[in-house]
Amino acid sequence: MKSIHIQNLIVITAIALLASCNLTKDVEIDLPDYARQPVVECYLEPGKPFRLLLTRSYAFFDTLGLSSNFLQNALLDGAFVTISYNGQTDTLKNQLTLVPNPIKVFNYVGENMVPGTPGTQFDLYIRLQDGGEIRARSSMLPVVPIDSIQVEFSEELDSLARMLTYITDDQSQENFYRRILNYSSLDSFPDQDFLVTDRFSQTASIAFGTGYELKVGDTVFNSIFHVTRDYYDFKESVDLAVIGNLNPFAQPSPIKSNVSGTANPVGIFTVLVYDRDTTIISK
Amino acid sequence: MNYLKALTLFLLLPSFSWAQNATVSGTIRDNQNGETLIGATVQATGLGKGNASNEYGFYSLTLPEGTDSLELRFAYIGYQTLLLKVLPKGAVKLDVQLVPVGAILEEVVIKANALDEKRKSTEMSVSTISTKEVKALPALFGETDIIKILQLKPGITPGSEGTTGLFVRGGNNDQNLIVLDEAVVYNANHLFGFFSTFNSDAVKDLKVYKGGFPAQYGGRLSSVIDVRMKEGNNKKISGTGGIGLISSRLTLEGPIQKDKSSFIISGRRTYADIITEAVNRSNADDPEYNKIPRYFFYDLNTKVNFTLSPKDRLFLSGYFGRDVFTFKDPTFDFRFDWGNATGTARWNHVFGPTLFANTTFTYSDYRYKIQNQIQGFSFELGSNVMDANTKVDFYWQPNNTHTVRFGANGTYHDFVTARLQAGSDDGKIRFEAGRAYDGWESGAYIADEWAKNRLKLNYGLRLSMWQNNPAFYLNAEPRVAANFEANKRLSLKASYARMNQYVHLLASSGLSLPTDIWYPSTEGVKPQISDQIAVGSSYLFGDQILVTWEAWYKWMQNTVDFKDGAELFGNNDLENELAIGRAYAYSPLELEIEKKEGRLTGWIGYTLAWVRRGKFPEIDNGEWFAPRHDTRHNLSVVALWDAKKWKKRGKDKSLQLTATFVYTSGYPAWLPSGRASFIDFPGAQPQFVVPLYGPRNTFRYPAYTRTDVGIVYKWKNKKGMENDLTLSVYNATDRRNPYFITIAVETETTAVGEVPFEIRAKQVSLFPILPSLTWNFKF
Repeated sequence: MKSIHIQNLIVITAIALLASCNLTKDVEIDLPDYARQPVVECYLEPGKPFRLLLTRSYAFFDTLGLSSNFLQNALLDGAFVTISYNGQTDTLKNQLTLVPNPIKVFNYVGENMVPGTPGTQFDLYIRLQDGGEIRARSSMLPVVPIDSIQVEFSEELDSLARMLTYITDDQSQENFYRRILNYSSLDSFPDQDFLVTDRFSQTASIAFGTGYELKVGDTVFNSIFHVTRDYYDFKESVDLAVIGNLNPFAQPSPIKSNVSGTANPVGIFTVLVYDRDTTIISK
Repeated sequence: MNYLKALTLFLLLPSFSWAQNATVSGTIRDNQNGETLIGATVQATGLGKGNASNEYGFYSLTLPEGTDSLELRFAYIGYQTLLLKVLPKGAVKLDVQLVPVGAILEEVVIKANALDEKRKSTEMSVSTISTKEVKALPALFGETDIIKILQLKPGITPGSEGTTGLFVRGGNNDQNLIVLDEAVVYNANHLFGFFSTFNSDAVKDLKVYKGGFPAQYGGRLSSVIDVRMKEGNNKKISGTGGIGLISSRLTLEGPIQKDKSSFIISGRRTYADIITEAVNRSNADDPEYNKIPRYFFYDLNTKVNFTLSPKDRLFLSGYFGRDVFTFKDPTFDFRFDWGNATGTARWNHVFGPTLFANTTFTYSDYRYKIQNQIQGFSFELGSNVMDANTKVDFYWQPNNTHTVRFGANGTYHDFVTARLQAGSDDGKIRFEAGRAYDGWESGAYIADEWAKNRLKLNYGLRLSMWQNNPAFYLNAEPRVAANFEANKRLSLKASYARMNQYVHLLASSGLSLPTDIWYPSTEGVKPQISDQIAVGSSYLFGDQILVTWEAWYKWMQNTVDFKDGAELFGNNDLENELAIGRAYAYSPLELEIEKKEGRLTGWIGYTLAWVRRGKFPEIDNGEWFAPRHDTRHNLSVVALWDAKKWKKRGKDKSLQLTATFVYTSGYPAWLPSGRASFIDFPGAQPQFVVPLYGPRNTFRYPAYTRTDVGIVYKWKNKKGMENDLTLSVYNATDRRNPYFITIAVETETTAVGEVPFEIRAKQVSLFPILPSLTWNFKF
């Protein structure tokens, strides 16, 4: 199960209160020297082109990459990028691409579409202009479909409903899921976003719920991603790194990447498989 | 065990010198309430022979038999010295009662020189705190706390501001053996560590060993904190209490049968929830109102003791405390509670004038539980550790040259780690996790304190054993401490102690959180081991100021830490998340200047120390790093000044001014060195500033400085009821000390979403100036 975040919430609320009591102030600090690293993010989506974002990290207080310079200074161009699968190798062109709704940015794009056969293995190879290399491997998992969705109205809170989403889990192996709910559109902040493992599930049926917070007419984008262990570890470590900066009680975490090589990269290379349902709440 | 027998014989051989001796023994008590006095001294004036009462108030003094009476001098700090004449012949049973110099208007003439006794003792690296000091000193929110006073002693740091964390001589927070009436208290904290579980009204005193551990103690690497509850007034019914900013206290004590048996019951509870619940009720009809969660904590201490015969006493004591956090609305029922329960049954038996035994049964339980009910679904997560312990300790003083302690104990530990039960009420969906462990921990020890001329030597051995099938560990823990009295003012001291620790706290932060998990030693997680050597000296200036210097070096093996990104909750394989390494700490200068007598009392403590952890294969490639409690300079100044005493309209009055000052070098912190951006999944919000963390703790916070002041105004009314109003001003200079540094990111909307345009470091402080007023009473 996902970590309990109650303490984090309490702490973050407490810090907000402290700020309101004039107990925070800006300070100048010197952080240790930092060598910039290549950052790889590649989510292969079946039926869509091969797309990859290759950027560079910054020293924490580096003013480069802020504001309008953000994209321009972050992108790491001029690299040689290939993805191999099913005995063929595709080379991705260095081409800035913006995908709207939701907005996503890529700077390396292939011509072929990602095949949709579960079990397909993909190998990533990147050679940077300075000769540094990056490698990664990932396999496509099967989609775990949404079995059913139940909308239940509260007896006490007459006008509010919750939504229960059921899936059937393969108990013969350990599976990892990411559940994302968007209440208004896929461009909005997720209203629910967490990772879960079936490690402790004693039943094949797994339910994802909401609180009693949905009204008649609300649109809910309900996504269940079936993710790899590599991705689960990566995303957990990203969350811990963010929380570690906000919560003095939390242990920070270095990013657990599945990309490696002489270029000393951070990032993730994985295949995106998911089932998505759109529900309009009605009685 | 053969070599234990051999050691026993070796230790005792010198004591079989059956010259014509008489032995005077008995118990030393307070004559006002019958409480036994620990560490009271008895001396045969003119003979230079003396001894002190043990932790149960029992003393024994061997004298040459004769026909002339000898004068014995009984003394204890805060009490009038008592001179008695005895005829030294055979076994003389002599129970004495000392009169406290407690009346407000009396001139305080304290004959006992506790500092000189401390100087002469083989004990080193030891501090004692009395509740009298604790109650007078300024405190956060006016909540006097014996653990926080302990943090003001040299060699001990709190780890974080305002908390009851104890990092002793480079050790971790879980390496302290905290015992309340000999029962282990696993999590001695309330409210995430901001208050300790010890209600100062119920506590008699506290003694902490930072090194030179006596052989009777074992089980933790870095300190032993021995807290004794009051026994209860066996003369008359009396009570104490107080009303403070966040809690109230009430203690009742009195005789069950006068001079034979007594009871004490003491309670404390916070009351912020009473206010928040009233606010919630008054807004119940407002649909926009966000209900305030309910939080409170409470403690209950009880104790009874019975004098069964002149040779037998029985004590039964217990502690129960809980923190409770709840939130409930029509569709959501959340409860998070945690706390300790301890029980002690203790039987003191005097076999004869030279042999005293204490047999103890203790029970300890710490647990936390998080429960949530959402219509049709439930969630429950919890952990607990339970101990059942039996021990017997013998105290044998065959003559004035030897004081022998020996004994044994056995403890059964039962652990449940992160037990999770969640699912639907119809059983179609069910999650379960968590594991149970148990273990046997036992120990046997023998130690002798040998005193000859100017040299005192305390040497002993403890054997400790741990069994957690299939893991089995047997370890020898030698202990030795020496005191050489160079002259009437100067003592030179040295000690060595090895300790083993078989249970480990898996704490995900530097603070003590209720969800931290205690984990046993197994085949994969070996016992932690520490060795500590210390040298030092004590010099008595005049008869009022004792200056103690110590230097120490401590090295530890098999210390436990987490791998990066470890998962604690709902994890059946916690061992995979642990990293095992080493640690060391040293100080060339740990200095304490104490003054316990006169109108101005207090102490100054200073420590210069280094702490390192490392050799964890999974952390920073095994490199050494400074843990959070590695602070180079620690200075504390504690002063209590009896400013004025007077009488007005028949009422005794007094005014006491108190102050504490703390300076600590900056704590190491693990701050990010770089940042990266991730666009994330479709439907997820991109994260443009994700911190990238490099090696641990390469940054240091600015230094920490705090001054607290207090005024204690006391008066006694005509009916004899004592009152005081205590004004405490925490952080009197309103300094903004660093508690935490966070990186704040300001963003703006662009074509690719919200992107950062400014990144700043922000220092978060926890407490501004905080005055508080507490009314205390005693009747």
